[in-house]
Amino acid sequence: MAGRKVKIEVRNLSKHFDDLIVLHQMDFDIYEGEFLCVVGPTGCGKTTFCNVVTGLLPITEGSITMGGEKIDFKKHNVSFVFQEPSCIPWRTIWDDVKIGLEIRKVPKKEINERVSAILDLTGLTEFKDFYPSQISAGMKQRVVIARSFVTEPDLLLMDEPFGQLDSSTRFYIENQLIKVWQKTKRTIIFVTHNLEEAVYLSERILVCTQKPTGIKEEVIVDLPHPRDITDREFVKIRNRVTDLVKWW
Amino acid sequence: MANDKNAGSGKLGTFGYNALALSIFILLWTIVSWISESLFLPTPWTVLKSFLDLCTYGDVEGISLGMHIFKSTLRIFAGFVAACILGIPLGILMGLYPRVYDSTKSVIEPIRFIPPVAWIPLVIVLLVGFSRYAFIIWLGAFFPIFIGTLLSVRSVNPTHIDVPRSFGAKRLYIIRKIVIPSTLPDIFTGMRVGMGIGWDCIMAAEMIGGENEGLGVMILKYAELIRIEDIMVGMIVIGAIGFFINEIFIFVERRVFKWKEAIVIS
Repeated sequence: MAGRKVKIEVRNLSKHFDDLIVLHQMDFDIYEGEFLCVVGPTGCGKTTFCNVVTGLLPITEGSITMGGEKIDFKKHNVSFVFQEPSCIPWRTIWDDVKIGLEIRKVPKKEINERVSAILDLTGLTEFKDFYPSQISAGMKQRVVIARSFVTEPDLLLMDEPFGQLDSSTRFYIENQLIKVWQKTKRTIIFVTHNLEEAVYLSERILVCTQKPTGIKEEVIVDLPHPRDITDREFVKIRNRVTDLVKWW
Repeated sequence: MANDKNAGSGKLGTFGYNALALSIFILLWTIVSWISESLFLPTPWTVLKSFLDLCTYGDVEGISLGMHIFKSTLRIFAGFVAACILGIPLGILMGLYPRVYDSTKSVIEPIRFIPPVAWIPLVIVLLVGFSRYAFIIWLGAFFPIFIGTLLSVRSVNPTHIDVPRSFGAKRLYIIRKIVIPSTLPDIFTGMRVGMGIGWDCIMAAEMIGGENEGLGVMILKYAELIRIEDIMVGMIVIGAIGFFINEIFIFVERRVFKWKEAIVIS
């Protein structure tokens, strides 16, 4: 990672809920255009981490800065892909994808251009007038990915977004995500409990400890895309991450 | 889509089954009234004749059936619209600010549990004419609409709220674009329930309201004369109007909330 520009600095980040310490003095950098995965044992506070970074929950101690400024999603362009299904049921795919641009008052002409482009990239153009109830779970996640990328975010946070998909759909969507990321080169923090998914997608993996959660170790995944899950190097990295996540 | 054809034949099928069910009901009614030979159980044809007479010549005071229907419907409409105008915004407000509801529930909840019919003697004394009926209907329709809206606002999916929040949306945007659209189906259900209760109330209110027009008054007039066929005309007309209004609600609901219809693309 040497030589890459630091995009986000997380310093001494802590989050407490009364006496319960969930995040404890986390320190790490995120680089410009990086695909970073965060993994850790179940219940270690990965979702809390996402909520803190996006500002949905206040920080107890420490700071998260982007370009030297405290991160503020009213000022910075941050997108969030939620763990739960998050398509808005009464909006068509087109209207759902444009919501972020609408909120940021982007001119209508630009909205149309950007939404058309991202729907093309994610293969959703022919479904643009459909409602979420009319499409499959995998397509819904593609809508959410399109919605997140269309705002051209400085940072995209994804909180176990594919946890509810079957393995073949998940594999397809992961490849779609990589395709969109390679084309747009956005900075992504991808939180998952699926270690194979982390190795398949990311350039670097942060392994979290049990609560109170800190960074146990970082693992560099220096493999070209598309990755082969049966490749010896891939398996070696996956086993190493598995060993690091073990708490028993 | 292939489903469209099926939907068309499905509608025809439903219509056919309903026509069959209605025919069987009328047939059974005819058989039972023939067998019983009771003066108090007229045949459908006697009731139909009374219906035509009421339409043509009016009731014992010469007031036509159309006028009775018009008066009752107008009263219902006034009370129902008032219940919507007050119940929906108040439900949204108290749903968004639960402290307002929590601080006022000692007034709201006891009133909710007083049956609208129990208000009638008080209303007869305190109000006059049209406002009596409108108030009773309002009282009956208000609470289903208000409570339906209030609970619906409180149960908006938090993820749907977090989506615009994560893009930096302001509170007003979230209310306009997420909270209100999300609650509309429940508001609509509250309105349907409110309309039904409104009809319950108007009957009771008209029966003791002291005026000459309205379906409730008409039924009471013929009850005193023990003319069952005319009473049954009043009952059937109320049922038919209720059915018709409910069908309008369903039609509008399907149009407005077409996003709720699940057709999964395989």
